[in-house]
Amino acid sequence: MSDQPSSKQSAFDRRAFMAGAAGSALVPITARAAAEDARVSTAQDPSLPVDVTLRVNGKDKRLSIDARTTVLDALREHLKLTGSKKGCDHGQCGACTVLIDDRRVVSCLTLALAAEGQEITTIEGLATDDRLHPMQQAFVDNDAFQCGYCTPGQIMSAVACVKEGHAGSEADIREYMSGNICRCAAYPNIVAAVKQAAPEIMKG
Amino acid sequence: MTAAAPEPKTNMGQPVPRYDAAAKVTGRATYASDMPLDNPAHAFLVTSAIARGRIDNFDLDDAKRVRGVIDIVTHENAPKLKESKLFSNGGYAGTTIQPLKSADIAHDGQIIAVVIAESYEAAREAANRVKVRYTATTPSATFDSPGTTTAAAKGQNAQFKEDPGVGDFAKAFGAAEVKLTAAYDTPTQHHNPMELFSTSCVWMGDNLVIYEGSQFVYGLKNGVAEQLGIDADKVRVVNPYVGGGFGSRGSMTPRTAIIAGIAKRLNRPIKLVPTRDQGFTITTYRAETRHEIKLGANRDGKLLALRHEGAEVSSRADAYCVGGTKTTARLYACPNVASLVSIVRADRNTPGFMRSPPEVPYLFALESAMDELAVKLNMDPIELRRINDTTVEPIGGKPYTSRSLMACFDEAAKAFGWAQRSPQPKSMSDGDWLIGYGCAATCYPTQMAPSAARVRLQRDGRTRVEIAGHEIGTGAYTVIAQTAAERLGVPLEKVAVFMGDSDLPPAPVAGGSNSTASTCSAVMMVCDQIRQRLFKAVMPDSLTDKAKETVGISQAPATQAAKSDRPLDIEKAFDALGVGVVEEYGEWKPEGAPLDSFRAMHSGQVRLVGGHTMKDQIAYAFGAEFVEVRINRFTHEIRCPRLVGAFAGGRIMNPRTARSQLMGGLIWGMSSALLEATEIDERNARYVNDNLADYLVPVNADVPAVEVILLSEQDDHINPAGVKGLGELANVGTNAAICNAIHHATGQRIRKLPVRLENIEV
Repeated sequence: MSDQPSSKQSAFDRRAFMAGAAGSALVPITARAAAEDARVSTAQDPSLPVDVTLRVNGKDKRLSIDARTTVLDALREHLKLTGSKKGCDHGQCGACTVLIDDRRVVSCLTLALAAEGQEITTIEGLATDDRLHPMQQAFVDNDAFQCGYCTPGQIMSAVACVKEGHAGSEADIREYMSGNICRCAAYPNIVAAVKQAAPEIMKG
Repeated sequence: MTAAAPEPKTNMGQPVPRYDAAAKVTGRATYASDMPLDNPAHAFLVTSAIARGRIDNFDLDDAKRVRGVIDIVTHENAPKLKESKLFSNGGYAGTTIQPLKSADIAHDGQIIAVVIAESYEAAREAANRVKVRYTATTPSATFDSPGTTTAAAKGQNAQFKEDPGVGDFAKAFGAAEVKLTAAYDTPTQHHNPMELFSTSCVWMGDNLVIYEGSQFVYGLKNGVAEQLGIDADKVRVVNPYVGGGFGSRGSMTPRTAIIAGIAKRLNRPIKLVPTRDQGFTITTYRAETRHEIKLGANRDGKLLALRHEGAEVSSRADAYCVGGTKTTARLYACPNVASLVSIVRADRNTPGFMRSPPEVPYLFALESAMDELAVKLNMDPIELRRINDTTVEPIGGKPYTSRSLMACFDEAAKAFGWAQRSPQPKSMSDGDWLIGYGCAATCYPTQMAPSAARVRLQRDGRTRVEIAGHEIGTGAYTVIAQTAAERLGVPLEKVAVFMGDSDLPPAPVAGGSNSTASTCSAVMMVCDQIRQRLFKAVMPDSLTDKAKETVGISQAPATQAAKSDRPLDIEKAFDALGVGVVEEYGEWKPEGAPLDSFRAMHSGQVRLVGGHTMKDQIAYAFGAEFVEVRINRFTHEIRCPRLVGAFAGGRIMNPRTARSQLMGGLIWGMSSALLEATEIDERNARYVNDNLADYLVPVNADVPAVEVILLSEQDDHINPAGVKGLGELANVGTNAAICNAIHHATGQRIRKLPVRLENIEV
């Protein structure tokens, strides 16, 4: 991995990827044939590393990864950015939420290859110069977490929730923060935190 | 003060922000699977598709062809592991079903193979290509399934020693003016902490480091060492942060020793991140329960007879049960009590503790029945509790160390607006919504266990506290730091706390709400050892003896301890001692702890003391919970717009973390009453909804206004910290409070959880 200027080019070939996706565990019966076909040409083997450049927290990161690697696993296993958490790997819990081009996205359901050329912001990229982002500070002030495992996802989601204009009322915040499960159930404190941080974030 | 940081009342600490707050909001808090490993191989589990039978053979050819596969481990080539007994029988394990030991299958989702590969993606693909041929036998799934066996818990579960009873229940019930007999059911539930059940194992020569979220690092360390047949000193468990416990990480699961064994064989770090659905079967869960309650009372509401019969499902291999009659038999003044707990064995994974193990199912039954009795008596349910309130438990005649149950009812009732309730069912509504108010008592035993701690104080006041406690979200770092700061008279920001590492002095399991009471009592004691050394150094000899008397446990903070006109000057004391650091280690045990307590503590065995097992007293925390439900008269949609709880738990170390924990508990209770159930396919004894989309837990939009009232309570009989424990208290009464409110709204009594809209017949 190294910091490189952004590149839109990649060795990734969409047709090879489709073969690879089918060759994974999703459809095992048809998959076997597809995978064997793919293996005829090693260039299309999904398990062969593919070069990709991800722009994460303002820096370009060049990686050589399995084509099936998700943004979440790329961050955690390859870039050592472990703030984003794996809670279900199915897009059901929100613990892996990151911003991609300022939209909140469950990184476990987003392939790293598909995020090339886009701006990925993770919890590690939120604080500036050791000063907490207003949403992070609001989570501290309002005790908006207990075990802390869902917290990075909650905070990324909360930042987007405010920017989307969905923090106008407590009911709105509750609704638009409902993609992020907190098993410790800090929900009322999360609502209070989003309410506190919203004006400052909207001010810029 | 904000809502999150309530103003402390008498006998409460300061609501300081969490010690670990900055780490948790920046992503710097490292959980098990976040730990950096040098060139790890990735493990992916293959689990059984049948619940009972045998594996005939594996076809691994296809799986082995996947590029990057290093090894596939099955019962045919698995590392040999020694057995560990169930934790309740002197072992460490949450189940004695040991996967990969033979071709036998004891439950659905049992680990049958582990694929090791260079990448997570390759391991997953290969795992999906493992083909298994089974000979399946029809499994028994749950209550009423053919092939289950039922027997009394007493005699088969070492921790369930007796079915509590007193007087002559049959006679008293027969003669009672008002009688109630009712049956209640609670469902299977899974903890589903947000952190997956990840395990990484790294060997350095003969030494093993395990990164795994655990509620008991000493238990896990000793258990894995036992299974591997190595010295426990060679095993270290590290987890500075745990992504939720709720009981799921209290005892050792088979996965850890398996991964450790494979890592040793391959001579490479192994990282396992199981999937969410695998978590439903590779760890424990709350088993389904059934209850029958019989209550007999006078017309004036005085209880004369109480019988509680409970049945719980367990695995074929292990006689696990929670046995909550120990609490329900003692909660109210009642001269004639009988009880019986049975265990039903089925082809299931072994159940285990889940937040508020005995009280959640058993108090649902009793507190629902109390409400039914109040209705029969045409009496306010709060008054029925008041009439039967007691300072002495009826079974052994022991006094409660303190009991603020009715004070909690009164405070919560006031805050809730109970006086506005019109008592008749179906008498309150708002447009299309039927409104119901309900309440219930909540309680949890006060428990303590032996704990050690090491504290180091520097001349400049910097303090380091070391204790192998666990931060599972409770605020353990925070309250331990507060305890040390207060006891040593140093600023809070100078205190560093190190936990979640089995190389630190032993602490008990973070379960049964014993952690704060145990660890803070130990830290207080060790801080006092430091104070004593410092005082001795600066005091004239004539005063030293006096210091010995006054500078003990439960004294005022160090700065005032000697004499108000002689505050301890730490720098002067250090100069007099001629040292740069004062460090003390100590081992604390609660009164009445067994003789082998400290030995057991070091070998990862828990010796809990408290609740009804104390010699001359009984210790419980109490609370009262009030809910408003709204049920749409056409769609039957159930909403719970308000939850109010008042709680008394002895000393409150930090009102901020206490409120959060109790708030989370109330929401857990609401979730348990209205959302959570693991559905079982009874034909195949399999869990159906084993994911976070189908196993319903509350999201933000489900959660109403929650109000937590902390009562001031002082109890000098329980432990030096004066703490009763809060983690399990808040979600005990909520199930009944909600069903009681549903009855008030609709006139319909629901005795089976969870309550869903299809269960409402308005």
